[in-house]
Amino acid sequence: MSRVPIVEIKNLIKIFKDCDEPAVNDISFTIYKNDVFGLLGPNGAGKTTTISMLCGLFAPSNGKIIIDGLDLSENITTIKQIIGVVPQDIALYPTLTAKENLEFYGSMYGLSGNDLKEKISMWLEKLGLTKATDKRIETFSGGMKRRVNLIASILHQPKILFLDEPTVGVDVQSRNVIIEHLKELNAQGTTIIYTSHHLEEAEHFCTDIAIIDYGKILSQGSPKDLIANTPNSSNLEDVFLNLTKRKLRD
Amino acid sequence: MKNKLWASIKKETLILVRDKIGLSILFIMPMILIIVMTLIQESAFKTINEKGIPIIFVDNDKDTLGLTIYKGLKTSSLCYIQDSIDGIPATAESAKAAVSKGKFLIGIVIPKGATEAIRHNVSNMVNETLNIDSLVTEQKETKPDSVDIVFYIDPITKKSFITSMTSYMHEFISSVKTQIMFQTFSEQIADIIPGSGTQPKNTYQKSQIINYKEVFASNLTGEIAPNAVQHNVPAWTIFAMFFIVIPLAGSIMKEKKDGSVFRLYTIPTSYLLLINGKIIVYVIVCLLQFILMLSVGLFILPQLGLPVLQLGNSILAIFIVAISASFAATGYGVMVGTIASSEQQGAIMGSLSILLLSALGGIWVPTYVMPEIMRNISSIIPLNWALDGFYKLFFRGGGVSDILIQSIKLILFFILTMSISSFVNRLKRKI
Repeated sequence: MSRVPIVEIKNLIKIFKDCDEPAVNDISFTIYKNDVFGLLGPNGAGKTTTISMLCGLFAPSNGKIIIDGLDLSENITTIKQIIGVVPQDIALYPTLTAKENLEFYGSMYGLSGNDLKEKISMWLEKLGLTKATDKRIETFSGGMKRRVNLIASILHQPKILFLDEPTVGVDVQSRNVIIEHLKELNAQGTTIIYTSHHLEEAEHFCTDIAIIDYGKILSQGSPKDLIANTPNSSNLEDVFLNLTKRKLRD
Repeated sequence: MKNKLWASIKKETLILVRDKIGLSILFIMPMILIIVMTLIQESAFKTINEKGIPIIFVDNDKDTLGLTIYKGLKTSSLCYIQDSIDGIPATAESAKAAVSKGKFLIGIVIPKGATEAIRHNVSNMVNETLNIDSLVTEQKETKPDSVDIVFYIDPITKKSFITSMTSYMHEFISSVKTQIMFQTFSEQIADIIPGSGTQPKNTYQKSQIINYKEVFASNLTGEIAPNAVQHNVPAWTIFAMFFIVIPLAGSIMKEKKDGSVFRLYTIPTSYLLLINGKIIVYVIVCLLQFILMLSVGLFILPQLGLPVLQLGNSILAIFIVAISASFAATGYGVMVGTIASSEQQGAIMGSLSILLLSALGGIWVPTYVMPEIMRNISSIIPLNWALDGFYKLFFRGGGVSDILIQSIKLILFFILTMSISSFVNRLKRKI
């Protein structure tokens, strides 16, 4: 069965004002429907910049982004309706409760009434937050905040879900719950594009991985292929270190 | 669309209601400010309006001029006159000492022979006019024709008080001089034309055909005397409404800081709709502030012995100015929040600019006392447009047609600030 492209990136370049080096330097790759695509790289490699351009946060300096067959630069509003974005920061209102935050973000995606209420209570229950429904976000632990941060982006059942380090700074239990439910979403048809520093997590979770450094894609393929094709590598961490070297990054 | 706007309004309201410090800045602080400022300024108004400027009066003349000035000042509301210090009749020395100690703001000493000098001077003029040369020559040589009325002035006295008192004195001297001149002419004419000296004694009083009447140029029924309540309530209410810039800009900055803005930019909802939620909530807050401040003027200040705020003739016009000012203040807050790069920067930019705009706009000092260049600057300040609108309603009894220009200017300012915000936002996202 042939794979259907859902995100196509062609010769993407991003040069920030007052910067000599491009943050993203002429990258091209394709993500297929129902993939769990991992964009991995050291700090400052260009992961967040790439994700930000893919979800329309800012325009590329050059290149083309096609999402679900539509040119992003011309169909930004339509594309925003089929994507979900889980930012690296906890993008929630601290003085609002979990329910109030989710009601607000759900409404912004066009959900309303009982449909919205049912989805909120379903996801809060799935992610073990029912008891915290009416508690303010500022009283939550890091793991709880991450879980609500995820729910806020998936209430509208997006076709494509972008996650920028969704499990950073959380305990193993929270991380497992998050990954399990992302797998469930993927099984239901959501394509997942995520960045992470947890290479072991990525190795088991992703169907396809691109390793990026200095704004360039160094290698791309399934975790198995990457390990097999990179000399002296027995796992994804070896692949990562062999490709990006051991030099410390700012 | 409606659902999204409602969700945005609900979110902003909840955030605002749960921010106790922000609420106290918005509602309690301006109330305290109005009460304190009005009480302080009312005492200054009272000094002038009720008791008057304290004056020590020394009458060494003991004749018409001294008596006329004393009686005139005694009946004047401008001053509170005394001719003795601690029960002892004042002298030039004791008056000077009392003024220098701050017991009185002004001391007036009428010198001995002042009336006589006027009489002599007038007599000379009359004689000269009627060609009685021999008498003129004789009197010119023997009597002085000028005397000095001395003013002792406390250095803290306002220049305007001194000017008022000097004008009063000129008026009294002129009046006495005219009276004496009239009398002397009558006597001389009686000498020249026998049998004409039977004119009625009140002829001079009858000649006073021009009187002064103070009428406030206002459409209000009944008289509104300038008082601290009428001045302060609208002025500080506008100040409080524009102070909304700080929490509003802070709210925009917080969204940037905590990453919410990242998510907001990736959702299928326009930035304008999200901002509209904020604008609606903060405009309502401004209107609530306005109602609260007016209530202070109507109900709380009278309990503290201050005059009741007079609202004028048109509630609709008051509402139009209030809502226009609310939009202007909110638009300015959105602009500051959009331009600033951090919460601290937003707070400093917001508070300092409002202090500056309120000073320039006539909130602290009336624009008519400003130099011309400052008055010109004041005329382009939104706080001044709002203040001007409220003064037209509260003092001059104006209606909707009188405040339309001010309201249109305020709404145009709102549109301008929103356009700048939208432009800056797009520019920042281009990176």
